[in-house]
Amino acid sequence: MKKNFIPALLATTFLLAGTIIAVSGRSVEGEVPAPPAIGSTLDDFTLPDGNGKEHSLASLKGKYGAVLIFVAVQCPVSNAYNERMEKLAQEFKARGINVIGINSNAAETAEAVKAHATERKLTFPILKDPGNKIADRLGATVTPEAYFIEGSNKLLYRGRIDNSRNEAQVSSSELRDALEAGLAGKPITKTTANAFGCSIKRG
Amino acid sequence: MTLSRKFLLLTLVLSIAVIGSLATPAQRKRGVAKRQPAVSVASIDADGLAAVLKRQSPDAKPLLVNFWATWCDPCREEFPDLVKIDRQYRPQGLEFTAVSLDDPTEIKTAVPKFLREMGLTTPTYLLNVSDPEPAINRVDPEWSGALPATFLFDSQGHLVYKRLGRIQVPELTAAIEKVLRSSESPVSSSGLAVPGSE
Repeated sequence: MKKNFIPALLATTFLLAGTIIAVSGRSVEGEVPAPPAIGSTLDDFTLPDGNGKEHSLASLKGKYGAVLIFVAVQCPVSNAYNERMEKLAQEFKARGINVIGINSNAAETAEAVKAHATERKLTFPILKDPGNKIADRLGATVTPEAYFIEGSNKLLYRGRIDNSRNEAQVSSSELRDALEAGLAGKPITKTTANAFGCSIKRG
Repeated sequence: MTLSRKFLLLTLVLSIAVIGSLATPAQRKRGVAKRQPAVSVASIDADGLAAVLKRQSPDAKPLLVNFWATWCDPCREEFPDLVKIDRQYRPQGLEFTAVSLDDPTEIKTAVPKFLREMGLTTPTYLLNVSDPEPAINRVDPEWSGALPATFLFDSQGHLVYKRLGRIQVPELTAAIEKVLRSSESPVSSSGLAVPGSE
């Protein structure tokens, strides 16, 4: 009797735990933490580029801040934004805000990231995020997804670049609006905005 | 086999071939239609999506909604499992629909082609909006818009389960069975676990 009791108790416990997890909704992207609140300060971090060379956020950001954009090699939505990201990077680099790409997809190697940037003529740095540590820290789930931080690493905006994958149909550019407001020292009207994209494939 | 029997067999085979070739184009079309199930993809906007998600009629059933796109690899990979789930749980009172986030120009081409390949014959939709955010927020304000994404609503329209990323079949079926049991013996909405509420 005792011999049967312990396995039965364990089985019941696992069954109950499984049921609770199944219906509690804690299935979101393998428990990705929530993004930091707007206004919170991000800690510095270091990630390797496509050649394996390490770069800190502090060394890459501009005088007035940085835009971290989670990108992908194979995501059609991310790729639809390549030209827009490059244009944004060139324009705002001259104004003190540097664009930094981050690839957190487990299946996309540093070599693939480097080759993709060369092929698509992306000149801003794209870092590889092994183990998706930075994606987890920032609660990033989708590509492309942008995080605008000011010079002191305070998060001012998180979300989409604009409202349409098709550049011809863009009618609102939330990231650009946030950058302009940030540079002008004005309050940012919209601090988060979402759009459809590809899931970040975590390792 | 004698020569006359061989002749008889040959005549029979030829007759069948000739009769088959005499089938009218309409008959042939019907034959094709039998092999390829009809699919339904309707264009909807954010209000249309909200109407789909609302479970207002007295005989409303729990609803499983999958957001997908033909350009999304994990969406295509998980789709056969969703079709199986639809076939398994529809007789038990579950409604299933899929909402495509493809370009509206694909509504008569790539989208129905894929659904036909999957054998999904239930009504589905293509979201046609200039700004996706109101639709995303209507489904779940905590959703970033990452695909694939699957949501389960109870018969009263409350979100009771979600999976952002590829579905986990055992986890999803457990949630479906729970919501179907709840639908049989209605409980107050506050008794249902809503993701993110803990």
